[in-house]
Amino acid sequence: MSRLPLIEPYRPDAPLIIQGAGTVSQAGFVAQASALAGTLPQARFALNLCESRGAFMLGFAAALLRGQTCLLPPDRSRQTVSALRASHRDSCVLADFAWPGAVRVPPPAAGARWSDAVPTIAAAQVATLAFTSGSTGVPAQHAKTWQQLAVHARLLSGRLGFAGASIVATVPPQHLFGLETTVMSAFAAGAVSSAARPFFARDVAQALAQADRPRLLVTTPVHLDALVRAGLELPELDGVVSATAPLPAGLAQAAERLLGAPVHEVYGSTESGGLATRRTVADAAWLPLPGVSLRIAAGVAVAAGPHLAAEVALADLLEPAGGGRFRLLGRSGDLLKVAGKRMSLADLGQKLRAIPGVVDAVVFRPTPAQGDGLVGRPAALVVAPGLDERQILQALGAAVDPAFLPRPLRRVARLPRNDVGKLPQAALERMLGE
Amino acid sequence: MVDDRQLARLLVRVLNLEGHDPESIDPEAPLFGNGAGGWGLDSIDALEIALALQEEFGIVMRSDDEATRSAFASVRALTRFVQQHAAQEPGRAG
Repeated sequence: MSRLPLIEPYRPDAPLIIQGAGTVSQAGFVAQASALAGTLPQARFALNLCESRGAFMLGFAAALLRGQTCLLPPDRSRQTVSALRASHRDSCVLADFAWPGAVRVPPPAAGARWSDAVPTIAAAQVATLAFTSGSTGVPAQHAKTWQQLAVHARLLSGRLGFAGASIVATVPPQHLFGLETTVMSAFAAGAVSSAARPFFARDVAQALAQADRPRLLVTTPVHLDALVRAGLELPELDGVVSATAPLPAGLAQAAERLLGAPVHEVYGSTESGGLATRRTVADAAWLPLPGVSLRIAAGVAVAAGPHLAAEVALADLLEPAGGGRFRLLGRSGDLLKVAGKRMSLADLGQKLRAIPGVVDAVVFRPTPAQGDGLVGRPAALVVAPGLDERQILQALGAAVDPAFLPRPLRRVARLPRNDVGKLPQAALERMLGE
Repeated sequence: MVDDRQLARLLVRVLNLEGHDPESIDPEAPLFGNGAGGWGLDSIDALEIALALQEEFGIVMRSDDEATRSAFASVRALTRFVQQHAAQEPGRAG
């Protein structure tokens, strides 16, 4: 069975992790991961809750070396953890904070023992199970082998320039986008990952100051917006990478101006991993990663690539944009068809958000109750402190066919965004029913 | 100097919390988590609160600072944090 190195290219004395003012070398990391692996309990799965990226990477590597599969929980709530442990009974828990029954993972230490040889992992070993946050419906699990993760990291790195760069990130390593850009980029593509988990603008500034150039910031639209609005002076940046939700063009422009670096977005999903990128200010169309192909089969977009075992159906509507690029038209489950007319939920949401006085809004399709005659009619949650429902519907009615007007349209104080800014379907339905 | 009511009004305004009456809130109620009587705020709200404190009082928050972590416990804790830090840093408003 073929095996691949834990770290490749392996340069024992090169830094792997920026930990505070110091760095952890690749060899030091390997020695600590091997030692931790020996202390892990016998189990098929390791539920990695570690908050610090350094401890997460140590726990991940140790679990891999023991042949375990890392479970990437969508959040750290007690309900999520108990649900995952119930569905994956043969599991242990790794945490860098107090958690009942967990193996305590220390932060990787700077001046640790030396290891000249890099251990290998079976290429076909299932390295991670990621769980979708459920913005497209019920949570589901998605397996990635070690080879798939490593191959993908090199594709993404080739596009975004991870090799030799320091990576500072506001996204958790448990999110697949965070894992690809901040963990696998270091293990498989020569990046150096900052262990910091910066949150406020000042934290980002500090983490960047501790990283050598070239430095990249990996973030989400929500965090980037807060960073831009804080307007603090930041260390020089060489690039910004955003994902998890669409980045508004205006925010991308403001960010490029303030940060003096190009802002790239990654398009993908938990099922497919990152598939394509674009520089938001320059191009509305997306360029697939090398070797990734997208085609429309029976009205559904499917992706294939060197990091995918089989074709993956995508939840989005795409259209070719020339030169191998494509444009996103919205989610395919989003297409509303009423009386021969068509409109996407995304488009309807955009029209709703464009109404003066509307601060935030989402249009979605509630899961139909059995025998419900209103299948297809979208619902909306709207944040608009100065408007009432009637005024909002009136303004929207001026822009779209009345057949598409959401029912119910409910005014709320705020949308139920999770900590990467997404709106899980279940939370939307709960709020609609309140 | 800012008091609990003013701070509660600021939160209700910047977070669009229409359901909360700043005049009648319990200043000791927890801001985060879904416990009964709490505000039920999340991490994205924390980013908004930090921006508001920077805007109103010139305070720049840092998450590795123990004072910042405890400031998010309640309106009262946040008021105390502002009182202590606004005095030491050049504020744009008061």
